[in-house]
Amino acid sequence: MRNSVNRPPTPDAVEDQEKEPTLQEIINIKMIESGEKEKLMELLRERLVECGWKDEMKALCRAYIKKKGTNNVTVDDLVHVITPKGRASIPDSIKTELLLRIRAFLASAAL
Amino acid sequence: MSLPNDDNMSAHSQLSSHFFEDLLDSIIVDVASECHRVARLGLDRNFEEEEEELRLSAQARARVADSSNNGETNSKYVVDIFGQTHPAVANEIFECMNCGRSIVAGRFAPHLEKCMGKGRKARLKVTRSATAAQNRYTRGSPGSSYSSYSNSTGMNRLSNGASSGVAGEEYSNGSFEEL
Repeated sequence: MRNSVNRPPTPDAVEDQEKEPTLQEIINIKMIESGEKEKLMELLRERLVECGWKDEMKALCRAYIKKKGTNNVTVDDLVHVITPKGRASIPDSIKTELLLRIRAFLASAAL
Repeated sequence: MSLPNDDNMSAHSQLSSHFFEDLLDSIIVDVASECHRVARLGLDRNFEEEEEELRLSAQARARVADSSNNGETNSKYVVDIFGQTHPAVANEIFECMNCGRSIVAGRFAPHLEKCMGKGRKARLKVTRSATAAQNRYTRGSPGSSYSSYSNSTGMNRLSNGASSGVAGEEYSNGSFEEL
């Protein structure tokens, strides 16, 4: 007669939240584990410095900071200022190079 | 057989692009935070000077443009042995190899002072690491890699404005020997 004996089973809330990791996540993990992500990041950084992209972005930041006043700027502001121009002004050669390497990695990881 | 392959290919390209965007975003955040840090800590010595310099450069350019005929009647009426007169402010405009701005030749020496460092102010230019910054704080050891301008602390003017970027030792009498 104890209620606990007939207690309904606890709902599977926990299990529902653990979806299978998406392909995206699997790749991300593999990239990090193999060290490839770090290498790609360094490669991209180097290329962007060489082609002057980083200097352009820094100039944009400085101009914005001058306009707004040094103490009124947050990192978030700067990110929002740079992101559209930053994404658009990537030279195609760099983008292609990185994409090729990423794809080579995907192929070699047999995904 | 080709269909699954195509799907694979486009899924791959999508994934690659997505991943590339991720990398790019991380780098953008890095650049933004670096700029933020530099601005907040006041490390950018050129920050206030830019406007002043732009103004002076524009002034110099204006003087070059409209006084090229009045060179003779201005303060420096010098005729050289070929009978040529020289304008008060040197004519040519070209690009500074350090910062990439277009500078009138007559303003090049003062510009280089600020740009490359004659003394305390410009010397404290922003650098990536604290150790590199500390190297710059130590003065004038000729053996250091900054020897091309480290000895000019006593001088207020570069002798002919052409010593930028050349690796050589500068002697205090102003003459200059390349190693």
